[in-house]
Amino acid sequence: MLIEAKTSFVTVDEDHDYAARTIDYEPENRNTAPRRRFHLYLMLPAIITLAAITIYPFFWLIYMSLHKIVIGGADRWVGLKNYAGLLTDEKNIQGWLMLAKYSGLCLSFEILVGVLLAVILNNSRFEKVLVTLVLMPMMMSPVVAGLLWYYLYNGTFGWYHWLFQSLGLLGETSILADYGSALWGVVIVDIWQWTPLITLIALAGLKRVPRDQVEAHMVDGAGPIRNFFAISLPNIYPFLLIGILLRFMDNFRFIDHILAMTGGGPGNSTRILPVYLFDVSFQFFKLGRGAAIAFTLLAVTIILGMILVRVFENPAQKKALANQKD
Amino acid sequence: MVALKIENVWKYYGDTVAVRDLNLECDDGEFVCMLGPSGCGKSSTMRMLAGLEHISSGDILLGDRRINDLAPKDRDIAMVFENYALYPHKTVAENIGNPLRLAKVAKHEIRKRVQEAADLLEIGHLLDRKPMELSGGQKQRVAIGRVIVRQPQIYLFDEPIAHLDAKLRARMRSELKHLQQHLGVTTVYVTHDQLEALSMADRIAVMHEGVLQQFGTPAEIYSNPVNAWVAGFVGEPAMNLIACSCAQEGNAVNLMHDGFKITLDDRLAKAALSSGERDLRLGVRPENVRLTADPDDGMIAGTVFSRQLLGSDMLVDVLSGGDHIRVRTDPKSPFEADEKCYVSFDFDHAHLFSAETGISIV
Ligand SMILES: Nc1ncnc2c1ncn2[C@@H]1O[C@H](COP(=O)(O)OP(=O)(O)O)[C@@H](O)[C@H]1O
Ligand SMILES: [Mg+2]
Repeated sequence: MLIEAKTSFVTVDEDHDYAARTIDYEPENRNTAPRRRFHLYLMLPAIITLAAITIYPFFWLIYMSLHKIVIGGADRWVGLKNYAGLLTDEKNIQGWLMLAKYSGLCLSFEILVGVLLAVILNNSRFEKVLVTLVLMPMMMSPVVAGLLWYYLYNGTFGWYHWLFQSLGLLGETSILADYGSALWGVVIVDIWQWTPLITLIALAGLKRVPRDQVEAHMVDGAGPIRNFFAISLPNIYPFLLIGILLRFMDNFRFIDHILAMTGGGPGNSTRILPVYLFDVSFQFFKLGRGAAIAFTLLAVTIILGMILVRVFENPAQKKALANQKD
Repeated sequence: MVALKIENVWKYYGDTVAVRDLNLECDDGEFVCMLGPSGCGKSSTMRMLAGLEHISSGDILLGDRRINDLAPKDRDIAMVFENYALYPHKTVAENIGNPLRLAKVAKHEIRKRVQEAADLLEIGHLLDRKPMELSGGQKQRVAIGRVIVRQPQIYLFDEPIAHLDAKLRARMRSELKHLQQHLGVTTVYVTHDQLEALSMADRIAVMHEGVLQQFGTPAEIYSNPVNAWVAGFVGEPAMNLIACSCAQEGNAVNLMHDGFKITLDDRLAKAALSSGERDLRLGVRPENVRLTADPDDGMIAGTVFSRQLLGSDMLVDVLSGGDHIRVRTDPKSPFEADEKCYVSFDFDHAHLFSAETGISIV
């Protein structure tokens, strides 16, 4: 990166009206081009490896989405037909809507519960032990988590099902077997497994909330709740954005527990877009159509991610972060 | 009227004792300084007053309310923190107006009072800036602004100007003093700088290792320190404290030192005898020591160790019998290092302290 520095030192004595001596100088511009080329050479092996493992498959994805892929035969060019087909594909559109609902539900509960847990855990006497306990779901493989909950939900021998049924909250069938509640069933598992991540991130943020500001705010006349919204939240906000970014991308990509629990059913009630993508590509082997779905999903993920990063990098946020470093 | 009463207050952090059995009373409208070196428990006391730290034992009364168990917001106290503690994402105006906003004061009223406070502190033109864009002195004024927009029962200042440069500090001392007199709010002001305490306070509470040493007016503290520690801490350059032993020879009472022997005057002699102590410390401030080139009766011989120009005065360090005696003299003083010289003490302004307990004898 070429940095042009123009440095100016101005010292103004606060006690006097006059400004003290000022010095302006511009350091002579060093020629940075050869240096940069050298750096490029150093990075070349890494760039080539990276290209091989990410860029090649990416273009292969685009290639597939523009062809009818015949396994064991010759691929046939179909232009944008795979994409055009998506527009009229009911299941595809349903998949998108469901994905939005699924991700929205997961994110909002994970943030809410995660931050609440972090606030409770922060500075609690048993913080270390409790944090370890809270983190356990996160360490489980998503498929295992899915199976675990599948059994807990089970209509005949599921523990949770039995509990809620005894309380009169549930009927005979498992919530995973019901069109209306199946999505909630998988949402709960995602919340259960990934809230700890938000808790961990929020806790790290809370540790950095400047104590003196909290104290000043209390002396200014604020109670604990106002304190949280006025001082803690603005301070953990940048951290939370990272959490949201990670979680929303995961929601768009990871479907292990859904496949383990419902496989998209009953009916299509949990068939969010990535599940549908899986079905199209690996159940029906329409690889071209699948690639088109995958590509749109990727594009949307990248665009949403970039918007989030932009929010994250806006000047006010940067300032807030910079301030924390003081 | 007593505005603030601290009764038998102790503060423990685990096993460390930060404040030991503190008793203090501030009158209404009074400016009280808590003076002591770093780590003597000043901040702990302030934080207990503000409600930021649990009071291990004892009572704190504000007016006639016992405030021990009240939350900070219910105590009617405003505090300036050592590191300003401004809200970085709020503008100067929002920082200053924050306590009023929390108290649900009407918007136009807040604007008016913020403007008044800012004008008083000469930061009226900075109201739209963020704290990041301010200099240290300006930040400090904002922190004070946040306190003076309110009319609480008591102001607390915890070393508010310790981080400013010397010149700005001198100016802020006078401004803060003026401001406090103008507002008439009872103020507890913490500092480790004895000059700050002497120049600003109505009364000074001198603390050392969590224990209140002396509570009195600056003049009292300066002229009648209760013990050798206070005597040595207050005043710059510091008081000479010379260890001697006391001996009676006929009618005269002498102080014996390795390098010299001095005969005490009546006042000191009487006190020394009635105390019955043998090992004493003679305390004389540098300005009460005279330095001459010609010997006279009862003078102490020594050599000039070093000299420092203090601006309007010259500080000469005289070495005699292995002890250093600081003398404050005319800046035109002709003495050079290693030169022979003679010093004598002004006994009217001299003190005697017990060498063992440090307690003042006279
Ligand atoms: N939160 C704390 N935990 C443990 N010890 C503390 C804490 N705060 C202060 N202390 C100790 O209490 C003593 C007094 O500290 P403090 O009141 O901050 O002194 P001062 O403000 O006069 O410099 C010091 O020895 C300090 O180490
Ligand atoms: Mg302190």
